[in-house]
Amino acid sequence: MSKKEYKLEAKELNAYYGGFHALKGINIAMEEKTVTAFIGPSGCGKSTFLRTFNRMNDYIEGFRVEGEILLDSRDIYDKKVRVDELRKEVGMVFQKPNPFPKSIFENVVYGLKIQGIKKKSVLEEAAERTLRQAALWDEVKDKLQKSALALSGGQQQRLCIARALASQPSVLLMDEPASALDPISTAKVEELIYELKKEYTIVIVTHNMQQAGRVSDYTAFFYIGELVEYSKTKAMFTSPKDTRTQNYITGRFG
Amino acid sequence: MTNSDKNRLKDKAFQVFGIFCTFIGLVVLAVLIVKIIMEGASRIDWSFITSLPSRRASRAGIYSAWTGTLWILVLTTIIAFPLGVSAGVYLEEYAKKTRLANFLEINIANLAGVPSIIYGLLGLEIFVRQMKLGNSLLAGALTLSLLILPIIIVTTREAIKAVPRSIRDGSYALGASKWQTVWHQVLPASFGGILTGVILALSRAVGEAAPLIVVGALAYVPFAPTSPLDEFTVLPIQIFNWTSRPQAAFLVNASAAIIILLLITFLLNGIAVYLRNRQQKKIKW
Repeated sequence: MSKKEYKLEAKELNAYYGGFHALKGINIAMEEKTVTAFIGPSGCGKSTFLRTFNRMNDYIEGFRVEGEILLDSRDIYDKKVRVDELRKEVGMVFQKPNPFPKSIFENVVYGLKIQGIKKKSVLEEAAERTLRQAALWDEVKDKLQKSALALSGGQQQRLCIARALASQPSVLLMDEPASALDPISTAKVEELIYELKKEYTIVIVTHNMQQAGRVSDYTAFFYIGELVEYSKTKAMFTSPKDTRTQNYITGRFG
Repeated sequence: MTNSDKNRLKDKAFQVFGIFCTFIGLVVLAVLIVKIIMEGASRIDWSFITSLPSRRASRAGIYSAWTGTLWILVLTTIIAFPLGVSAGVYLEEYAKKTRLANFLEINIANLAGVPSIIYGLLGLEIFVRQMKLGNSLLAGALTLSLLILPIIIVTTREAIKAVPRSIRDGSYALGASKWQTVWHQVLPASFGGILTGVILALSRAVGEAAPLIVVGALAYVPFAPTSPLDEFTVLPIQIFNWTSRPQAAFLVNASAAIIILLLITFLLNGIAVYLRNRQQKKIKW
């Protein structure tokens, strides 16, 4: 291994739900400003793994991890790490758009407000910046005070992306961000990922092979809690090394 | 008759029976209300509402009763609302799903079914005697708070449960703490439901007489209460008192007072329904 610094790393990571061994000895390292796709059949642990990077599993009773997750070479499961600080640094977008039942503006600035930022000019600036980044500004700039629930599904998802960017994270986790969207909205989200990659390190869970092929630089294939194969996306899709990977990406199971 | 005919007949028969069952309660209520209104409506005038009770039926009014009811309503809200909602939030959002939590949960549901007079006895011992509050409004309100707490807790939990997991996830993922998530997301989203439950619980409290009689609310209170430590009466007790008099004129008074009491409960229920509908229209997950 070269000596370069990785943005995100997992070292001998094991995770358990009670007695169920969900992630088995996972080692992976992701470079800054790349897109890594996690693929694999349902229940293979890819979402669980994604959620260890911002410790979203902490609230699940009976869940525990062993091993290390490193963000900029710091172990995020260290006792000194504060979860709220971590989540400022690592944003997350969920499978189903989940805007808060508040105005568009309140949605975008929620992360900042809970940090105690109240200054209107700061909030307004952040809202415009992130809505532009999420390619939503032109569609909503005249109705920032309207309810976010009135937006279409695709717009809602881009709003959720904007919301995640407001606290200026360096990592963006996306858990099947387009699986609940129509093809046109999906294309917009994918374009967005391509743009965001210039500034953010992105990890995306997807069930859609073509999507993984289109948006990601690296792909990791998970199978029953194990990381089976991890390589450049092109390499994996053209010449998978493991037969399980091959079977999965050619659609023979999953 | 073929089998298909028989089935159709049964279907029809049940439909008729179902309509009958649906209307039986409504019809009885309607008959009662009509009877009460016919008896009492003409008795309601300004002096009936602003007069204190009297030995003479024609001069007696409900001033001390409805002011007592209002006091009880306000005090009970102030006591039971924060307690019940906090307990509901704790059980739903914070408490780990342990055996103790399970035990608490079952018993809170049980408490909702305890007869109100038992709460009266409890209130008599704790608030009136031990805490030496006497036969005061405060003792009465505390007792009624105990009575409606389980209802508020249960409805709060139901309302909170209806807030989707994804909203909480979204909030946590942005770095919010549990309290921030509850305060900024869960409570606002479930507030309509919570308020509906609280109001329905209060409308039950307004109609209670038994526990307040035990706590020592008086039938004859010739003054309007001015502080939480005053003695008091409430509308249901005034009604109970008048219906037990032999003179017919007092029965008319009772009918009139019942109309006022019904108006108060219908008003409260109406507000609850309005809030629930508004909430449903505002938020579609």
